[in-house]
Parts: sequence; C-alpha cells; structure tokens
Amino acid sequence: MDEQLIQTITKLVVEKLQTSENETKQEVPVTLYSREAKGVLTETSEEHKAAGEVTFHQTADQKPPGKKRQRLEPSPERTQEEELVTDLQAKTPARIAVGRAGSRPKTNTWLQFRLDHAAAVDAVYGEVPDELMNKLDLFQVSTRVKDKEEYIRRPDLGRKLSDEGKELIKKRCQSSPAVQIVVSNGLSAKAIEENAEDVYLSLVQSLNNGKVETGTSFYVDKGRVALMDEIGEILQPDVVILLIGERPGLVSAESLSAYLCYKPRIGTIEADRMVVSNIHKGGIPPVEAGAYLGTLIQKILKYEASGVSLVKREG
Amino acid sequence: MAGFQSKQETIISAGIDIGTSTTKIIISRFSLMNTAGSTHVPRIEIVDKDILYRSPIFRTPLKDTLTIDTAGVEAIIRSEYEAAGVQSADIETGAVIITGETATKQNAREMVHHLSGEAGDFLVATAGPDLEGIIAAKGSGAYAYSVQTGKVTANIDIGGGTANIAVFKREKLLGTCTMHIGGRLIEFSEGAVQSISAPVRALLHQQGWTLKTGDAAAHPDIENVTSFMAESLARILAKKASPADAPLLLGHEPNWDGVVEVIMFSGGISECMYAQEAPAVTDISYSDIGIKLADALQENKALTDWAWIEPDETVRATVLGAGTQTTEISGATIQVASGELPVKNVPVYKFSFKEGLEEGYSRFEQSVKEAIDIYDSFQEGQNFVLYVADLPYMGFKDIQRLAQEITSVMELRHDPDQPMILVVQTDHAKVLGQTLHAMAARQSIICIDQINVDHGDYMDIGRALQSEVVPVVVKTLTFHSS
Repeated sequence: MDEQLIQTITKLVVEKLQTSENETKQEVPVTLYSREAKGVLTETSEEHKAAGEVTFHQTADQKPPGKKRQRLEPSPERTQEEELVTDLQAKTPARIAVGRAGSRPKTNTWLQFRLDHAAAVDAVYGEVPDELMNKLDLFQVSTRVKDKEEYIRRPDLGRKLSDEGKELIKKRCQSSPAVQIVVSNGLSAKAIEENAEDVYLSLVQSLNNGKVETGTSFYVDKGRVALMDEIGEILQPDVVILLIGERPGLVSAESLSAYLCYKPRIGTIEADRMVVSNIHKGGIPPVEAGAYLGTLIQKILKYEASGVSLVKREG
Repeated sequence: MAGFQSKQETIISAGIDIGTSTTKIIISRFSLMNTAGSTHVPRIEIVDKDILYRSPIFRTPLKDTLTIDTAGVEAIIRSEYEAAGVQSADIETGAVIITGETATKQNAREMVHHLSGEAGDFLVATAGPDLEGIIAAKGSGAYAYSVQTGKVTANIDIGGGTANIAVFKREKLLGTCTMHIGGRLIEFSEGAVQSISAPVRALLHQQGWTLKTGDAAAHPDIENVTSFMAESLARILAKKASPADAPLLLGHEPNWDGVVEVIMFSGGISECMYAQEAPAVTDISYSDIGIKLADALQENKALTDWAWIEPDETVRATVLGAGTQTTEISGATIQVASGELPVKNVPVYKFSFKEGLEEGYSRFEQSVKEAIDIYDSFQEGQNFVLYVADLPYMGFKDIQRLAQEITSVMELRHDPDQPMILVVQTDHAKVLGQTLHAMAARQSIICIDQINVDHGDYMDIGRALQSEVVPVVVKTLTFHSS
C-alpha cells in the first residue's frame, strides 16, 4: 500500500468519527440488569427524631486499634490443590492462578503487569551503551531510519543501510568471509546490553574451535532482520548471523534472537532464514546459545543451506 | 510438507532382570524427537516407548544357591534375542539388573564381564536393593499411579528373596526399605522342608519356633513364619518397626516422611495374588512358601486397612522398569569426544556452587582431592564424574574461569590422561566443553548436562546418537532430593 492511500483512508476514518460524534446519539436500549425489584422487600419506617439532632456516621471501616493485619502463613501441610497450583505455576512464566478481586486483578498482579509493560516500553526506546561496543570492538553504522518513531512506523527503512553505513562497511570489513557477525538493537536495546557480550564471545570461541573464518563484526543501530540481505550483497559472506533484540513481551523484555542465513542476498526468501530465539537469563543461557550457534553455523556451511532448505538437505 | 516434520530417531533398549528365582527379558523401542519449537534450541526427549518382545519367565540358572550360572544366562539371552528378532549390535541402551539375594558383587562382576560382549553394547547395572525397589515401582505402575493421583503410594515388590519397598508421592521418591520376605526363603522337596535361609533361621530362633530342614511341608511353624512376615511388613509400612522385626530387615529402616495411603504389590508373589500371566507362562512349580506367603499377606488384617491397587505388571515389573525406565537422555547441546564412549560404572562426585563462585573455588581443589581419595583409594586411576551443581547465572568470563579451575583440578588425578567426565546441572555443557577445548586441554572431554544425578550415584554414558544426544543410565544409591 502506498502512503498516499493510507493517508486518504485515515482521513476518511477520522472524518467519519467526527461526524458521528456530532450527530445526536441514539440511545440503544441495553439491559444490563433487571429494572424490576427482586427478592423480598421490607419497608422500614423512618424513625422520627427531634429536629436538628445531629447523628454521626462512620464513613470508613476502622480497623480495631493495635491489631495488625494478619498475614496468612503457609500452613506446613499444604492441601493438594495448593500443591497442584504451585506445580502448574512452576511450569510456565504466564500469570496463571493469580487470583482476583471481584472482576479485576489483585493490586500486586496489576502492579507487576504495569511494571513488566513499562520495562517492555523502555527496552524499545532504550539505547545500547557505547562501552559495550568498545568492549567487543564493534564499530557502528546506522540504517535509513532517523529516529525511534520512524523506526517503528517504517520497517522498510530499518532494512536498508544508510549511504555512509554502506561506505563504512565496504571500507572497514573484510570482504567475502565465511561468517559475518552483525549485532543490532532491533526492538530491544536491553537484550543487547544483557546478552550480546556472552553470546558473541562464546560464538567467536566456538567458530575459532571449528577453524571457521569470521569477518569484521559490526553494530547496526535500529536494524531489522532483513537487513542481512543488503549486508550479504555488499560483503558477500557465506553466512550472516544477526544478533538482534526481540520485540519485548511481558515475560521478558531482554530476549535476544539470532537470525542465520546462508548467502543472504537481495531477494532472499524468508524460508531460507532461520532463527534461534529466547536467548536470555530465563531462556537458553546466552553462553550456551553462543556455543550452539557456532556448531549450527558449521552445519549450515557443511550443507550450504539454511532454513527450510537445510532441513530438506539434512534429510 | 514432509520436510517440516520433526525427525524421529529410534533406539532399541533391552531390560534383563536376573532375580533369585526367575530371569526375564524385555525388548523395547524408544522414539526420540525434538520437542522444542522450531525457533528454539533443540530438546530431545523420549516421546514413545513400544514393547517389542516379552520373554517367557525362566528359572534363573544357578550353580549353587547364590552363584549365577553365567553361561546359562547367556544361553537364555541369546535364544531370546533370536526369538525377538534382534541382533546384539542393535541394542543401544537398557540395563541388566541382578536382583534379590543373587545380587552379589561376584555375580555382578562375572555378569558384566560376560555380557558386555554377548548381550550388546548396553549398560549393565547391578542394582542395590533401593534401586530395585524404585525400578519395580516404575515398572508396576505404582509410580504412574502416584503421579496421577498425588497419593502417597508404596510399591512392594516381593520376589524369591527380598521385598523391596519404594514410596512415591507424585514424581518424588519419599523413601525405600528392603526386607527379607520372599517365596524362596523356605524351600520344599518331596513334601519336606529342604532349606531354610539365614534370615528365617534367625527369626525362628528369636521366636523360639522349632522348624528345621526335613520337617513336613505342612509344619505349623511355616504358617507362623508367613503370618509374621505379613505382620512385620504392615509394621514397616506404618513405620512402627519393633525390635522383633530386626531379623527381617535388610539394611536401613523405613526412611520416608508422610503416611502411606495406597499400596501395590508387584513381583512373583504378586503374581500368586493376581494371576495376570497366562497359565502356560507361570506353570513352573516353585515348591517354596510363595503361595502361602501371598495368602498370608492377603489375609493380614493390618495390611487390608490400606487401599490395594492392582499393579499393571506383576512378576515383570522389575524387568519392565529396567528396560524402559532406566534410560535418560542428555541435553541436546553437549560436547562429547565420541571415541571415549561408552563409559560404564563411573561414580559421581557432586560439587555445589551454592555459596557462590568465589567461595566454591576456594574449596574446589580440596573437595576434588577428597573425591580422588574416595573413588581412587588404590590409586589405580579409577575415573569419576564431576557433577557441577548449583551454578549461579554464568557469563562468558565466568565459564572461562570455571574451565580453568576444572583443568587444574583434573591434573590431581592419579591418571590425569583419562578423559574429563563432567555433568553440569544447568544448561552449560556445550560452552564449557568448547571452552575447555579452546584452552587446549590435553584430555578428551565428555561434558553433558540436564541429567538428574547425585553424589554417590554411578553412571553409564552410551554412545552419541544421531540427534547428538547421549543415553545415560544413572544408578541411584542415594535419594534424589527432587
């Protein structure tokens, strides 16, 4: 869809909304509850008291003084249901069996949810510290995206390197290496900050052990997965591995993915890409992921294929 | 879409149970599959177990009352493999379990020596009484019943020589106990008592009963003995052992917490109760107290207070457990020097980093020295498995440090050229193995993870499979905490 069309449609929708608001609203009868009284109704006669008499009402529930709120201590003998709930909770990071207060979540559950959501937003808008890049000896290039807002709105721009970026990698990177490692913040700078070092070092070690030649690694700010096609076109490596921050969720905001592709070039189809996801503290440990990725790359090189083609060739 | 289906790999497992009275074989096929999603690091699990062949029940060939006729067992195994249509080379995992009174060191050693070539490349286990109980509970269905219902379930496997009790609550083993209760403890010949085993003689002496060899098979003391065994079992299950029970107790007293809710009987005596097998299979005249013992157990008042659940398997519970429940699969990301596998019967030394890495390293050398003293006390170069447990969150630098420490302590072994065998509790085997490799460790490295072992266990590690995992048999001598 081109931008012109999107704008026209948006305008239409907004106009429509505005006109409908101005129209006199027709009330649709909705019966949420019966308007008829139900149950036994008793009428109490009003007490007649002296005029002007002042009565005091308690407006808030008062706790008896000196008595602290009793906490429920877990009884030593847990019931079977409680055990079952703990067993089930241990099997998933999802918020299950958290209870409720009326029709709403409990305050703690709600606050935790807000906290996790905020962490996810922070991960998207955060920045990867320069020290990390220096430590791993990565130079930095950028995509055609100007800022975060544009990055979110225009995925296509995140798939292309800026002109300076192209020049820089042409100049600084080794041409046609066996493996090209690229790191990018993607949708979670936090993922890179927490995991990239361990994955990277472990991956490099694993490739060295296997005597696989690696090119000059670099960092791309605000990249998207398919950026590897352009990089492949420019540097002509056999394999590109892109370590990129995953879209944050409510379970983890710092999960890293490694995308791999054998000879990615402009026009590479998605089925030829493969991914190892869920790399973070609570998923696969970053160090172990790096070691595994190293052997996976060796497999890709051996079969000269990745993604679905690799599965087919392996037989 | 055929290309998208997860590949399945199958391995053939053999279970052989050589008991005091009977020997049986079971051949099964395990299907292994990657159960992780396609975007995840693989996780290989056993997804299916098919039983391919059940042998008839054979009398255990014996040379004398306690010595197994190894050649006889071998002949049975060979003929049964033929009947099952498998070659010994096909067998990739499984266990030979020598149980009951024949589970002596000498028999075990003989058997290990003989069978490794003949029976296939599989993992020979000589079970202690505790492990026997656990394996039987898994084979009889008691374990599955407890997992399903959450009830504290005791499996009592009674064969010719011993009764092995294992108590489970859900997946958790609560405890075990072994007693001298079995069919063969008194044997008859031509209507007269032919032999009385030592524990029963002790019991007779203690109770002042006069039964002796040569007495009639209908001697009233025989019923005294069987009812006493039933009563004693009831007391043990209720954890109310009295000093009078001492002659029948083998090893430790009951050690489980909690109250047994449900009991299940397996083993030969259970077959006398439930008669699940086709008559042709069990039509062996045992001429011992087996049937009387089964009757005594069924009539005992105290025992009937528990809920009795009929087992899925009676006499074959142990062999089924040995054949299908003893093999574990390692994590999928591991580092093994294939030339060094399989390794058999290596003791496990657990080292915990619970107190933190630095604190751990400060005790590391001393602890490993101790391990070497324990497992290689004759300085023959007996290797051991170093089980690295309770690691905190590890960065790459932490792994490098750990690898360095491991390389240096491994030099302390009397034969430092032996492979380093490491089991990591957490998912770190591949990176640790690769780091050791990168440091140019001179020994070959076997580094696996995600296996449930503990201090004092013995381990067999099989050859690497196609899916790059290794089958492992852990012989538990102590209890797992979980």
